[in-house]
Amino acid sequence: MSLQLVANIVVLAAIYALVSTGYVLIYRVSRVLNLAHGELMMIGAYLLVATAGAFSGNPLLALLLAAAGGLVMGMVVYAVLMRWLTGEAVLAAVLITIALGILLRGLSILIWTTQQYYPGAMFGWHNPPVRIAPGVQISAASLAIVLITVIVYAGLFIFLQFTRWGVRMRAAGQNPLLAEQRGIRLHGIYAFAWGLSTFTASLAGMLLSLDSGVESTMATIGLKAFPAALVGGLDSLLGAAIGALIVATAEIAAIQYVNPLLSDVVPFLVLLIVLAIRPWGLFGSREQLDRV
Amino acid sequence: MSEQASYKQELALFGTRARQRRLAAALAISAVLPFIFSPFLLDLANQVLLASIGALALMLLTGFAGLISLGTAGLLGAGAYTVGVLVREAGAPFWITLPAAAVVGAGLGLIFGLPSLRLRGLYLAISTLGLHFVVVYLGGEYEAREVLSTGVMIDSPSLGRFTLTSGRAWYFVLLAFAAFALLVSVNLQRSRTGRAWRALRERDVVAGALGINVQRFKLLAFMISATMTTIAGALFAYFRNFVSIDAFSLYLTVQYVAMIIIGGMGSIPGALLGAAFVILFPYAIEAIAGYLPARFSNMVFALDYAAFGVVMILFLLLEPAGLMGIWQRVRNTIAAWRAPKRARRAPQ
Amino acid sequence: MSEPILTIDALQVAYHRVAVALHGVSLRVMPRAIVAILGNNGAGKTTTLRAISGFIGLDDARVVAGEIRFAGLRIENQPPHANTARGIVLVPERDKVFPNLTVAENLTVSSSHRVNAAERRQLEALVFQFFPALADLRPRLAGLLSGGERQMLAIGSAIVCKPELLLIDELSLGLAPVVVEDLARRVSSIRRELGITVLLVEQNAGVALAVADYGYVLETGRVVLEGAAAELRGRREIQESYLGRASGDERRSYRTLRQAPGGERPDA
Repeated sequence: MSLQLVANIVVLAAIYALVSTGYVLIYRVSRVLNLAHGELMMIGAYLLVATAGAFSGNPLLALLLAAAGGLVMGMVVYAVLMRWLTGEAVLAAVLITIALGILLRGLSILIWTTQQYYPGAMFGWHNPPVRIAPGVQISAASLAIVLITVIVYAGLFIFLQFTRWGVRMRAAGQNPLLAEQRGIRLHGIYAFAWGLSTFTASLAGMLLSLDSGVESTMATIGLKAFPAALVGGLDSLLGAAIGALIVATAEIAAIQYVNPLLSDVVPFLVLLIVLAIRPWGLFGSREQLDRV
Repeated sequence: MSEQASYKQELALFGTRARQRRLAAALAISAVLPFIFSPFLLDLANQVLLASIGALALMLLTGFAGLISLGTAGLLGAGAYTVGVLVREAGAPFWITLPAAAVVGAGLGLIFGLPSLRLRGLYLAISTLGLHFVVVYLGGEYEAREVLSTGVMIDSPSLGRFTLTSGRAWYFVLLAFAAFALLVSVNLQRSRTGRAWRALRERDVVAGALGINVQRFKLLAFMISATMTTIAGALFAYFRNFVSIDAFSLYLTVQYVAMIIIGGMGSIPGALLGAAFVILFPYAIEAIAGYLPARFSNMVFALDYAAFGVVMILFLLLEPAGLMGIWQRVRNTIAAWRAPKRARRAPQ
Repeated sequence: MSEPILTIDALQVAYHRVAVALHGVSLRVMPRAIVAILGNNGAGKTTTLRAISGFIGLDDARVVAGEIRFAGLRIENQPPHANTARGIVLVPERDKVFPNLTVAENLTVSSSHRVNAAERRQLEALVFQFFPALADLRPRLAGLLSGGERQMLAIGSAIVCKPELLLIDELSLGLAPVVVEDLARRVSSIRRELGITVLLVEQNAGVALAVADYGYVLETGRVVLEGAAAELRGRREIQESYLGRASGDERRSYRTLRQAPGGERPDA
């Protein structure tokens, strides 16, 4: 396997890993599977298009604004929609996220049409290829994705382990009733989890749009990243990272050695295999299956 | 004016006079409709009939047996593709392709059903989602290999000199299939299988302890539901004279899930109501779109998505029991309004 | 004569709207008292605690009649966080700590908006005074603690929330007698030091009555006996039914002893 192939795997794994953080955050904290995650990621990318259009001379500002917008977006989704289902059956919440995804897809086309946008180009940036080793090159945006994914993971780890809000989020995820009893405001925790989730999703969307543009089918990547989260056990960040590596390796290998058309279905083949062998993932626990 | 129905009459499907009267009325109305509907309305009616088969199939699986499945589009596609492939490769007539679709359905039902032996709820739904993508991939593979960028063309089914093309003829055919699906559903609901499924839906661990063969009934649910769905898919292929894997997207699955939610989970009339609602919805949106500024009216499909998402959310938040729930509340309100009058009329 | 801090009057609780678990329970808890609720499984003890703490919604249960008053306010059928905000803190029977958090994290995560930072530091220090063993266990994951240690942590994290009324569900469940006695003594000193009121639900009558001031005996959703702890301890009915000193071989419920001299008639 050539070094270039390895580089491609690492880039794809980084994308899946970054997107997966969103699934893991929400599931770990509130046991809800957010199937609108792909669409939310896509809206994050469109947010960059909007800010890039407004501040084309100031890319940093545009990026920061879009990222902030991504954070706020999740909290708004929780406050307006998801909070009514807190305490209800998880399946109802998941169905609502499916409906939300459809709504967002329609809205994004109504607002931005089906045209393809290149926010990078709006800044006058043309995504040069970067040579990271002899005979190995990736685009600058891809390099950024890998770096940012590492930073995000480190940041999330520190946040969950060492900050008050992070510990509270972990507590709420383990035992929401007890958490409420011990003074933890569940609504606040859940809203913040959603905000963090859409924040990382928007980062992923923005970076992807800088790499290859954004248009209305970008949301599929969100769904393809889901198996990575599942492999890890849905509530483990480390598991999601490992899962992303596994899925990315399988996908690139399949494209390279078997059939390029397999690219969209390989993640789900991995998903099916995991569900068949060890449904609770690498780091989950058996009891989780019954809690559903 | 109520009659005392004997137990035997209650048990039979159309035993009581009241039910027979209602059946006669329903048959009369449905027989007359195709002659008073315009071609457009007739096509709508046909679409609704076709959709009800899939909706009933999903209702059996999810509403009755409590087994979550997101594989409807995959199964519809499999049924349609069975017809497509057999017609294209072997020129097979419908009396071979339809049973073939049924067999494919039973087989896929078995495969889709296997995860349900180990997984529940969310995880089961995810596994059916995975299978959906596999089916869609296989269809896409076929189209790519055969270089069918626009899908498979299929001739209308014919028997002797008669070819099934007119809207009216299709109406009666689809009505027959839908009625049969309805009969199967109603009978299953009242049968031992239906009771076993209800037990499964409540608590499958307890059901197992009570001696119900959980595995057998879960697989049975998937296989029956899948067979109905693939047949619906096959009918769809003939109805549109055309099969393309693009039509069988996740959105299609969500539409069917919406049918049983909007109609009312676990209720047979609910499935029919839901099917009608979801099929007619885009046309209503299109009509409204005409009043919107041109920018929006040019993207009706996006408007459709957005509106559909909103409606689904509203039902999930406000009326999880669906249209049947609303209907029930209306009936209760009317009954409560009438009751005092009856009490006054009752003898001391 | 001070007012009771908690009164329950003719409380009826039903599950799923049909299965009545409490048939008109009445009780009174004086401030700074330790009150024990005794009875066997299914007597309605946990249901009573759930009704007080607000966790009644679990298993689709509701207060269908009667009232619960805390410091004069009616609190039945309120959501849990409303009651927590008033100072009613529950130590549940199961799932009483966060298993994947350390002991230290379990304590820091518990809080109440009624507690300011200074008070919080004081309370945390007090917890380690009451339970010195916890000090060494600070970095240990709560899920790896022994039963007794976990119970100490659970009570400790309840204390940090500055309770007015501490509800403890089954203090002794699954614990060795020596450990239970030790815990009961500590609960007593906590009551003394902090001036809180404690409602103790217990199957182990001996332990509960040793540390309580007053006791109620529940059976199938009704109060069948009440009295000062010392008095209850001496009663033959309690001794026979709950302390295992029966003269005959079979266990008898209180109801079969209704002809005992000096016994009270059970509630209708």
